[in-house]
Amino acid sequence: MTLRGADALLTPLREALRDAPADEADAYVHRRRAAITRYSHSSIHQNALSDETAVRLRAIVGRAVGVVTTNSLAVSDLRRALADAAALARASRPDDDWPGVAEPAPIAAAAAYDEATARADAAAQAGLVARVCAAIPKTMRAAGTSQLEVTEDAVANTKGVGAYAPGSLAYLRALVLGDQGSGYAEDLAWRADLLDAEAVADRASTKCALDRDRVQLAPGDYEAVFEELAVAEILRIVSLTGLGGQSVREGRSFMAGRIGERVTGERFSLFDDPLDPRTLGVPFDVEGTPKRRVALVEGGVARGPVYDRASAKAMGARSTGHAADPSRYASGGHAGNLTMSGGSATREELIGAVARGILITRFHYTNTPDPRAATMTGTTRDGTFLIENGKITRALANVRYTMSALELFAGIDLLGAQRLARDWWSSNGMGSVVCLVPPMKVRRATITGSSPV
Amino acid sequence: MTTTTSLLADLVASASARGASYADARTVEREQEGVNVKDGAVESVTRSSDRGLGFRVIHKGSWGFAATDRTDDAALRGVVDEAFRRAEAAASVQRRTVTLAAVAPQRGEYRTTLGRDPFAVPLAERIDHLREVDAASKGPRVKTRRSSIAAYRTRKHLVTSEGTDVSQEIVESGAGLSVLAVKAGAKPAQRYDMRLTRQAGWEFVLHLDLVARARRYRDDAEAMLDAPLADEKPTTLVFAPEFLALLVHESCGHPTEADRLLEHEVAFAGTTFMWPEDRGKLRYGSHHVSMTADATVPGGMGTFGWDDDGVPAMRTKLVDRGTFVGYLTSRETAGALGLPVTIGSARAESWQHFPIVRMVNVSLDPGATPFAELMRGVDSGLLLDAPASYSLDDKRQNFHFSTQSARVIRNGQLEGYVRGVAFQSLTPDFWGRCDDVADDWELHGFLSCAKGEPLQLMRVGHGAAHARFRDVPIEVRG
Repeated sequence: MTLRGADALLTPLREALRDAPADEADAYVHRRRAAITRYSHSSIHQNALSDETAVRLRAIVGRAVGVVTTNSLAVSDLRRALADAAALARASRPDDDWPGVAEPAPIAAAAAYDEATARADAAAQAGLVARVCAAIPKTMRAAGTSQLEVTEDAVANTKGVGAYAPGSLAYLRALVLGDQGSGYAEDLAWRADLLDAEAVADRASTKCALDRDRVQLAPGDYEAVFEELAVAEILRIVSLTGLGGQSVREGRSFMAGRIGERVTGERFSLFDDPLDPRTLGVPFDVEGTPKRRVALVEGGVARGPVYDRASAKAMGARSTGHAADPSRYASGGHAGNLTMSGGSATREELIGAVARGILITRFHYTNTPDPRAATMTGTTRDGTFLIENGKITRALANVRYTMSALELFAGIDLLGAQRLARDWWSSNGMGSVVCLVPPMKVRRATITGSSPV
Repeated sequence: MTTTTSLLADLVASASARGASYADARTVEREQEGVNVKDGAVESVTRSSDRGLGFRVIHKGSWGFAATDRTDDAALRGVVDEAFRRAEAAASVQRRTVTLAAVAPQRGEYRTTLGRDPFAVPLAERIDHLREVDAASKGPRVKTRRSSIAAYRTRKHLVTSEGTDVSQEIVESGAGLSVLAVKAGAKPAQRYDMRLTRQAGWEFVLHLDLVARARRYRDDAEAMLDAPLADEKPTTLVFAPEFLALLVHESCGHPTEADRLLEHEVAFAGTTFMWPEDRGKLRYGSHHVSMTADATVPGGMGTFGWDDDGVPAMRTKLVDRGTFVGYLTSRETAGALGLPVTIGSARAESWQHFPIVRMVNVSLDPGATPFAELMRGVDSGLLLDAPASYSLDDKRQNFHFSTQSARVIRNGQLEGYVRGVAFQSLTPDFWGRCDDVADDWELHGFLSCAKGEPLQLMRVGHGAAHARFRDVPIEVRG
């Protein structure tokens, strides 16, 4: 799995941009070589590799913007695409708020790339699955995914920006099923050698073994322990509804009109930190602006959103380097490399602090019935347990949780150590919010319903 | 892509010669054009295209798949090697071997019937149309207006080692509309539909009458700002077809996907509550509720000539007068479950994706009652037009929906709006409350049903008519 490299991506962009028939233009390339091995019943059932390159070109004529996307890096195709984009711009209407393409600026070197991960082959990938399947009890069966991915991002424009960054991602998930219940665990990292197949299998099968003789939990407010994946799910809703500059500008964000005010509990601090290699970040955005670490909420106080160039201009701010691929994200800035401050509590201490409550491993198919309050609803899955007097005592049928994230975080009592996690949607590529996130014990989580046992 | 039948056939033949028990090669070229207008200004004008080749083999009883967007001969032949490496690796962790249900080799072409090619409509005409729509959505308390028009074209060519050689050209047209209204001290109200799509030409965009729809959305959004909270008590709900299209999708389409039975999707999309032993027995809903999967519906977003297994378009019943009776299947899942191929629903988003079981057009069958008569049967209730937030569990059994607008029905007549309405239910309980379906069946389309790893966004179609549900518990949140 070899890289194409900076020259292979940037040289054709620069050649095509040199004589772009437009006042200004830029180009963004994303190459993704993804090897995904899926297994169920402890047997691999899909094993796929795809190698794809997408190029987005913008041509600006008299402040009107045309956009063309292609998957060819041939200079002739890029020139044709730029000409098409310019023609679209001429046929379009001027955008009075157009902020211009990015100026060149120093960009940090990419850190989240591992050559050995890029070179891992199909046999090595299947080997991770084999290790999971071998490590679980014979009475159980495993399902999940092994994913090894290499990405290359590049941006060039007519003002001289030229940026390139490779990246790698290694992911292993295991859903272990028994005769009654299920347990789930995963590892996510930028290096394949950081995946611990046996530990993933152990965490998932331990939960599966506990998931027996489920009972239903009555709706109501409960103390709760949210494990890392569950917290990541909450943060996804916070990010998509409230952390982009455009959402603040349009009044859709929980921060709108409240920047500088306390919006949640003082134990909650959140940053977007794409320069930390643990967050799998790329050091520049799709406009070629260097990414910055942004304080979003500190000690419960809203500090401000992330911006792309357009939302920054509209809000009288500077772009923080958070423009995202518009085919996957809403415009206005995307906070996708989150770090939430953690603590020192162990898992036992988090559970031990609950008199009567619930432990949530992860959620399924969440959504937000009230975006402005960052309210999330979703059902739990693969490890929902009743905690009584500081101990897990019963397995629970999956429950529906519905609550504002701000209210939830206002009740943080204890935080554990950070771990890299993604929400249910992001783990499958529906947008991407990668989180360095701690488990937490909260005073109140609202349960609004239960699935059958 | 300049691949030809002979090149695809050569690739497939080379796999057969290396011992593959099955192979197929599939090229896909996609084009898309879109125009977006926000608050009267053109927000974006985009054109995109891509093309590539996906190659599947079954070798040693396991699938291997590789895909590339490179067109040189070495790259194309490289995918064959990689597909074999993937199959070999899969076979090293194998408890089940792949068996495909038998289907006769297919040959032919399929093309969408178009009135006017949407790609041929001048950009200026599209922009002018959207500006007219935008003007119609203006209102004193409307803060943000968005509208869009898009055209999509997909050309596919599939050649298999069993002699199938089919080509398809599918064209879709769509529009989107969103109106956000605000009032000091009130929760913002948004009325929107970004799913107005059909396999058709520009005539569908005109058929939508976006100008009238924009006025309706504006009126709904502004009215919701002043609406009182609904009463939180069980009530009669009448759902518009637009709302039911999504309910059918989430609560019937997904749980009847046969790959969920095999736990192929258990770690991500989940499983089902509709198991093989339940077929012909499980009460899914009342006797008013029948649902059909049909890949032949004219204009459907799930309509095609052949699926990506090369199975010709078919029609089959999923729920028959309230009883669960059938599944959506691929050749692999039908083979594994010992089912006859009554519907082909193996579909890949594009060239880089492995075909998996997806919905085609999955619809609630129409009833015989005129809508006005159905409404006359409501002394007190709510008409829900369109969904807002929705969330389902991993078995598609426990769901939660909120609504963009809710109108009060009193003695069969509409009387103003209420806000804050949501409901959660269990699927058989919900559909069991259906006591009538109207005869005003209409077709809807979705662009982006999400499933699979890597994620695949699939076009699917859903038909529905107005339907009435009794004593549905609702939640009310301010």
